[in-house]
Amino acid sequence: MIKFENLVKKFGDRTILKGISFEVEKGDILFILGTSGTGKSVLLKNIVGLLTPTSGNIWIDGEEVSQYTEEQYLPIRKKCGMVFQHPALFDSLSIFENVAFGLRRHYKLNEDEITKRVKECLSLVNLNDIESKLPQEISYGMQKRVSLARTVAVGPQVLLFDEPTTGLDPVTTNVVNHLILDLSRKLNTTSVVVSHDMHCALEIADKILVLDKGQIVEQGTPEEIRNSQVELVVGFMQEVENHV
Amino acid sequence: MFNTIGNAVFFIGDCTLFVGEVIRLGIKEKPSLHEIAEQTWRVSMQSLSTTALAGFFVGAIMTVQFTMQIQQFGALGYLGGLSTSGTIREIGPLLIAFMLSGKVGAFTSAELGTMKVTEQLDAIRCLGSSPIREIILPRYIAIILSSFFLLAIGLLMSIGGGLLLGMFFSGINHEEYLRHIPTIVAWPSILIGLFKCLVFSIILASICTYRGYTTTGGAKGVGLAVVNTAVATMIGIVIADWLTSYICEALQSYFLGV
Repeated sequence: MIKFENLVKKFGDRTILKGISFEVEKGDILFILGTSGTGKSVLLKNIVGLLTPTSGNIWIDGEEVSQYTEEQYLPIRKKCGMVFQHPALFDSLSIFENVAFGLRRHYKLNEDEITKRVKECLSLVNLNDIESKLPQEISYGMQKRVSLARTVAVGPQVLLFDEPTTGLDPVTTNVVNHLILDLSRKLNTTSVVVSHDMHCALEIADKILVLDKGQIVEQGTPEEIRNSQVELVVGFMQEVENHV
Repeated sequence: MFNTIGNAVFFIGDCTLFVGEVIRLGIKEKPSLHEIAEQTWRVSMQSLSTTALAGFFVGAIMTVQFTMQIQQFGALGYLGGLSTSGTIREIGPLLIAFMLSGKVGAFTSAELGTMKVTEQLDAIRCLGSSPIREIILPRYIAIILSSFFLLAIGLLMSIGGGLLLGMFFSGINHEEYLRHIPTIVAWPSILIGLFKCLVFSIILASICTYRGYTTTGGAKGVGLAVVNTAVATMIGIVIADWLTSYICEALQSYFLGV
């Protein structure tokens, strides 16, 4: 579904991604782990065209998109929905209008169809009767879930999550993590999750990729990651054991 | 020194490209009239009271200044016409631009900057639209439209302020004050005022939307964007004032021989 081949991303003299290659199969959940500043979010933004790679190739559903223009990227963004690190809800719009935003741009639906779809998506993330509220009237955890509903509403085949649990309490973190799993299974989507949370990755990922200083230092199934001897991965595993 | 000049050249170039993109999208995809109307209303209401107040006192100041200059020539009858003409041609557009720069320019760059650093603008792109079309374009057009509305309000208030001071400070009655306004305030003065208003509002709209749209670096970045907007718009407006005065004088003497 998604394939990276020798992808390099530079900002001026700084090379953030140094020849990244990997593949995600349709329906899989891939977790990308790594310490802060290793280029995880940059990698994700390259998939959805918010950043253009310096060199290398990206295939999405068999289509090479690395040098696409903003206009060429529009149908790709219908396929790939992104949930941002911040909820990124539009302050001046109600929750209803936030979730309906992508629907109004991507599809020609009447108001009844839009209302039905918005309600469906909000109930998928366990939120009901908040359509008329403004983003600032609900909690941060709820905002994150609305953001997820807004992305899901467009019906993407790929869901990209940029640190979906950052800034959340442990209970809401657990709720969001299970939502990712539920949505992937219910909607049969491919998911790529950028995270620091090895505990969650081991629990729900099909594949884990560990990044360090712009390079992949380890990748494999949760079982393979558990047995890895790579120093950074060992450090992450010790953290998981301490947590347990 | 060279670094500052380099930065200024880069800023002007990049800002021009940004405005080009805003205009290109504006022509290609018609912006939402509802959104433009909403933004125009918001911008106008945000600055209405301060513009009206400032307009009133500018009219008053002009009247006091002209009174001191012309009463020795016994020409107080021309007071209303002279102070209104000066306000329409020069002080009015400049005043509106400064008022909008302080209130709307700072507000817009802070709003857009916050949207940028909290990834709201990226979210718009991911949801299949363009932040320039959805967010920038309506604000850009609204700032220009509001400038003309506020100019009209500011000028009316300045006539009111001038009239009041004319009566109480200069000792002339209201009929005398108003009598020479139509004869001294000729069409060229009004056109020059409108032209300046247009140029200043374009400068303001371009700088504040560009600075907001290119904000990076969290809360500190938003603060910097606001400060840079205030400084750049003030400098831009003052330079444009000199340039437009020069161009208008040249055009006036060429076409009207005045």
